[in-house]
Amino acid sequence: MSEHIIDINNLVKHFGDNAVIDGISLSVSKGEVVVLIGPSGCGKSTLLRCLNGLEPIQGGTVTLHGEPVIHGDKSLYKVRQKIGMVFQSYDLFPHLTVLKNIMLSPIKVQKRDKAEVEAKARELLERVGLSDKADSYPSELSGGQKQRVAICRSLIMDPEIMLLDEITAALDPEMVHEVLNVVLDLAKNGTTMMIVTHEMAFAEAVADRVIFMDGGVIVEEGAPSEFFRNPKTERAQRFLKTFTYTK
Amino acid sequence: MKIFKKIAALFAASALALTFAGCDNSGNSGSGDNSGGNSGNATFRNVDQIKESGEVTIGVFSDKNPFGYVDNEGNYKGYDVYFAERIAKDLGVELKLVPVEAASRVEFLETSKVDIILANFTVTDERAQKVDFALPYMKVALGVVSPDSAIIKSAEELNGKTLIVVKGTTAETYFTENYPDVKLQKYDEYNEAYSALQDGRGDAFSTDNTEVLAWAKSNPGFTVGIESLGSTDAIAPAVTKGNETLLTWLNDEIKTLGGEQFFHKDYDETLAAVYGDDETYKENLVVEGGEM
Amino acid sequence: MQGIEVLFMGNNMLRLLSGLWVTIRISLISIGFSLILGTLLGAVMTSKNPVVKAVCRVYLEIVRIMPQLVWLFVVFFGVTKLTGLNLGGETSAVIVFTIWGAAEMGDLVRGAFLAIPRHQFESSLSLGLSKTQMYVFIIFPQAIRGLIPNVINLSTRMIKTTALVSLIGVTEVLKVGKQIIDANRFEYPNAAIWVYAAIFFMYFLICFPLSMASRALTKKQQGGE
Repeated sequence: MSEHIIDINNLVKHFGDNAVIDGISLSVSKGEVVVLIGPSGCGKSTLLRCLNGLEPIQGGTVTLHGEPVIHGDKSLYKVRQKIGMVFQSYDLFPHLTVLKNIMLSPIKVQKRDKAEVEAKARELLERVGLSDKADSYPSELSGGQKQRVAICRSLIMDPEIMLLDEITAALDPEMVHEVLNVVLDLAKNGTTMMIVTHEMAFAEAVADRVIFMDGGVIVEEGAPSEFFRNPKTERAQRFLKTFTYTK
Repeated sequence: MKIFKKIAALFAASALALTFAGCDNSGNSGSGDNSGGNSGNATFRNVDQIKESGEVTIGVFSDKNPFGYVDNEGNYKGYDVYFAERIAKDLGVELKLVPVEAASRVEFLETSKVDIILANFTVTDERAQKVDFALPYMKVALGVVSPDSAIIKSAEELNGKTLIVVKGTTAETYFTENYPDVKLQKYDEYNEAYSALQDGRGDAFSTDNTEVLAWAKSNPGFTVGIESLGSTDAIAPAVTKGNETLLTWLNDEIKTLGGEQFFHKDYDETLAAVYGDDETYKENLVVEGGEM
Repeated sequence: MQGIEVLFMGNNMLRLLSGLWVTIRISLISIGFSLILGTLLGAVMTSKNPVVKAVCRVYLEIVRIMPQLVWLFVVFFGVTKLTGLNLGGETSAVIVFTIWGAAEMGDLVRGAFLAIPRHQFESSLSLGLSKTQMYVFIIFPQAIRGLIPNVINLSTRMIKTTALVSLIGVTEVLKVGKQIIDANRFEYPNAAIWVYAAIFFMYFLICFPLSMASRALTKKQQGGE
């Protein structure tokens, strides 16, 4: 296997007395697409949030390229530049145009050349089919368009890994496709990703590896073809059944 | 908690900064007196201290024509101001006038932000507990104004007739208590009451004699038939409670000024234009030598 | 038109304008201090510490419950009675309006910050922005946009409330107006309406640009959800 981007070792996360993540170990290799699925509240979103230090952790370690990710530590600012994250909620900055949303971080954080950044930003917008929206404000975009811009905003940082946290969960059904197509395209181009989703067909199509979580632990993992057709554990079988409808 | 302490400190600091910022430089927008030697507490200044400082601070009305007001040129004028100017002259110091409102006259003295209040200040028992009144220099009673066609000359003539009064005034209480046979017609505002009198809705109108005198002067066809009725209230200068040297000085001053009929001259200069120079009117208002 | 000539007699117009300047000066200084202290207070008020929250709440409620007139008396007379420190009228006015303005401003700032969704903070941090950059580029601009109309509103309220300062011996525009009306009440009994109209117009002249500025600023930062 090729080099590891992220290593999670025996991660523990509590909210009060409630262990949301109860000892998870996992590695993601370069170019790999890992999809996390599981029932609501199983800890999959929290896991992503721990990976870029948004949540303090109570045990274990997370490392990015061997460098530890520590909540509240100064080193986080460096680490986060290498981790792109897109949330479920539309999180564009409402007071900035689409183009400025995308350009803010590379210019202010990475101190890159403005002209280069703008060219790159326009190229990314073109790639997700939103060239004509560069000067629009987020309020003028549909939900699907906003999420595509949010993806561009993360991509422009040249992250080593993208974390996508239920990015289609808040979308109207007709917009889900346009966003997932962008993600499929990224996968095809070798972007390393960890994706939390409830879209099972999409998960099967995009994943190199599927991880099924429940109760804060990894219950089962495997290749998508294996997992979706022959889940080994009873809990995974029960979970997958909730997505099928038979008369 | 740490942050909060810092902010609290900041608040205190800026309050202090404001204190010393000294943004008081507007001409007549008075600001109390900072020149006194009594730093540390709010005590009054005695006569010597006032003389030493070269300035006496006197609180007057700035919008009670003709007692204390500011004319179109921006200069203080009026019966009280005329007296204030004389006080400064006789103390041998500069005069600093501070505009006061009726509601804050007592406080200005209690905090020694002025040395003297000369603002049409009626002597009452309640006020006398908080400030020291000197001898009176003016008096005020009720007056009754009526049309020239049927002048009312005594309160008894009003029995069975209609008298216009303004609600809440001394006139209302006085007639209710002493002349129950007078029919009272009550109004909320002075201008309503005057209109009623002009329209003949009542036989006469009663309120402070200063007020009816001034009105009759500028409204031909009406005469103040009763110039002084009911208990007479004294108007006197006031000083901070306990400021005996200044109180004594003022009393002596008022007595001395009686010798030269100063307040009659004051009347001629300031009130005559409004109340007329009729001798009886004058005697109904002016108090000379502190003797009512 | 009887009585309008009073406005142009003697130094009256100049006096009204200098009264207006007193009004503006007290208001501007107070608004300036309120902005600075209110922002700090607002930041403190967003604290999750229950003690800090309670202290701020009590401060705000006390300031709101007590009429500004009472505050003016407390600061101008009360401070002198208690400590002997003799504050000037304008200084007292600025202190009172700052105490009041800072409290109201603090509450506005607190509200503006709390109105910003949590994911705005999180996505800023996820993009690698430092905390300072997050506040400067993302949080403050959004908070300010929400604040501007409220701050303008508070400012116009403060400007109008300065009329109370005549009670502590400061002659602002309304007091000058009353002096002019009173000085001419025998010769020109109808002057009042013209003097008040002139003052109304002067208040309008200061408050109108403020609301125009607010509208322009809000428009400039158009967009948002």
